[in-house]
Amino acid sequence: MTATVERPAEIVPREPVNKGREGWVRRAPLLPALVFTIIVTQLPFLFTIWYSLQSWNLVRPGSQQFVGLDNYVNVFTDSQFRGVALNTVVLTVGAVLIAMVLGLAFALLLDRQFRGRGVVRTLLITPFLITPVAAALLWKTVLFSPTYGLINFVLSPFGAGQTDWISAFPLTSVMVALVWQWTPFMMLLTLAGLQSQPHDVLEAARVDGAGSFAIFREITLPHLRRFIELGIVLGAIYLVNTFDAIYMMTQGGPGTASANLPFYIYQRAFLGFDIGQSAAMGVVVVVATIIVSTFALRLIFRSFQEES
Amino acid sequence: MSAKERNWWIVAGVVIVLYALFPIAWIVSLSFKAPADIANGQFLPTVFTWANYSQILTGDAAALFLPALRNSFGICLIATFLACILSMFAAYAIARLDFKGKKLILSTALAVAIFPVISIVTPLFNLWRLIGLYDTWPGLIIPYLSLTLPLSIWTMSAFFREIPWEMEQAAQVDGATSWQAFRKVIVPLAAPGVFTTAILAFFLAWNDFVYGISLTSTSAARPVPAALGLFSGASQFEDPTGATAAAAVVVTIPVIILVLIFQRRIVSGLTNGAVKG
Repeated sequence: MTATVERPAEIVPREPVNKGREGWVRRAPLLPALVFTIIVTQLPFLFTIWYSLQSWNLVRPGSQQFVGLDNYVNVFTDSQFRGVALNTVVLTVGAVLIAMVLGLAFALLLDRQFRGRGVVRTLLITPFLITPVAAALLWKTVLFSPTYGLINFVLSPFGAGQTDWISAFPLTSVMVALVWQWTPFMMLLTLAGLQSQPHDVLEAARVDGAGSFAIFREITLPHLRRFIELGIVLGAIYLVNTFDAIYMMTQGGPGTASANLPFYIYQRAFLGFDIGQSAAMGVVVVVATIIVSTFALRLIFRSFQEES
Repeated sequence: MSAKERNWWIVAGVVIVLYALFPIAWIVSLSFKAPADIANGQFLPTVFTWANYSQILTGDAAALFLPALRNSFGICLIATFLACILSMFAAYAIARLDFKGKKLILSTALAVAIFPVISIVTPLFNLWRLIGLYDTWPGLIIPYLSLTLPLSIWTMSAFFREIPWEMEQAAQVDGATSWQAFRKVIVPLAAPGVFTTAILAFFLAWNDFVYGISLTSTSAARPVPAALGLFSGASQFEDPTGATAAAAVVVTIPVIILVLIFQRRIVSGLTNGAVKG
């Protein structure tokens, strides 16, 4: 991040361009993108807020009426909603952390010279490149399938029968698929971190007689901290909105055992036609996202500013 | 490195590659299996057949799959192109011009990127039906732009900030016209950033599922991921597994080709955008 962007308050323009019309002329190239994005995302959100104050079910025409905060009261007393919220946290945190641990391990393995390293690294990115819907299908039909799944095939020497993994462990199954897809992303980030390590420091530590593990704990890990944090935040931002994997693999079921908030909201609106209730949950999710991401991003920006 | 140590690393490398690639290899092999083979639990098909591919490209599933493929390519390319143009202007302003509130603008872009799509799908669905954008290309291009613009602005401005803009003036001092200076000096320097941004934007739009299933209903605009969603649920095929596997392979190929060609740029683009942000 350049100094201009980090400390906008300290910019001393050569001429007072920020005043009046010319300041806006300079901002003009920005406006199309910015105005467009804000209109397309925020205008519908105003509608969502409006819907959330109505009792409105599409199946019963004429049912639309203003009910104030009733929908919110229902949301917070709905035990299914709490269960689904918990699923969302478990799924996001679990998938991100496991993918990060695996990604870090792989990055450490790949961060050395060996023949074919470039090829291996390229091949490893592939899971991340697969369209998420296709990846979910892959796990559902290819790996977890009770009759011809890879998992049962691999486990068959150990006496695993025809386990239907998705029915038996729906949330875990979804999480496994997400971990598989996101490990390469975490690996790429931590690998970028590993390769930006100053070699003289590592060399000095080695000369001073530090063991590999001590070097890893005392030098590499602190250096990697910001890359790990970045991976966790970016992964969490994306995975908290997971929808395709759940839609394809479990449809949130059985019941709501594997539904997360995005899927539950979709289900309520597009399959249950309960627009008011679903909108209220949408607003709650946006507020929660703002709160959580404010903390998370602060953490990230602080650790990057320390560095630079 | 001792021989024993080296062997250990080779084993570890093989384990990692298996972890990443064996599932993919399995689905590729599944896509070449005949219906009788699908459940046999063997890795290689006993009879190698193109039947699954012909089913989705010319057979009964083609009516669902081919229009979806065309829609996805068309919609994603248009959205990517527009996102690149708009974010080029924005990134130029952020990188090159002095004005207050740059940080606010980048933060806004980030905030929009984090904004949960699911909370605006229902009003978009209602709005689009009201104004006739439901199940049309523009009806998906518009939300895809809002999906791709924040990341595009972010990535592109990280690249543009690295461009030595003084070189433009230097070229002019050396006698180039301002158009020449722009075309011969700035365009080649900016191209990698624009490329990376385009690939990332295409990737985001191509992978979308929520908008795809909520804002379309027929093959007039339904993109590939939404069509794949119908593959698994519908009972219109005898056994969809082989066809599904083939479709999954076909859908993934364009993205993999794009990324393998531009791999180095994407990795540096991601880390530049994120780390230097």
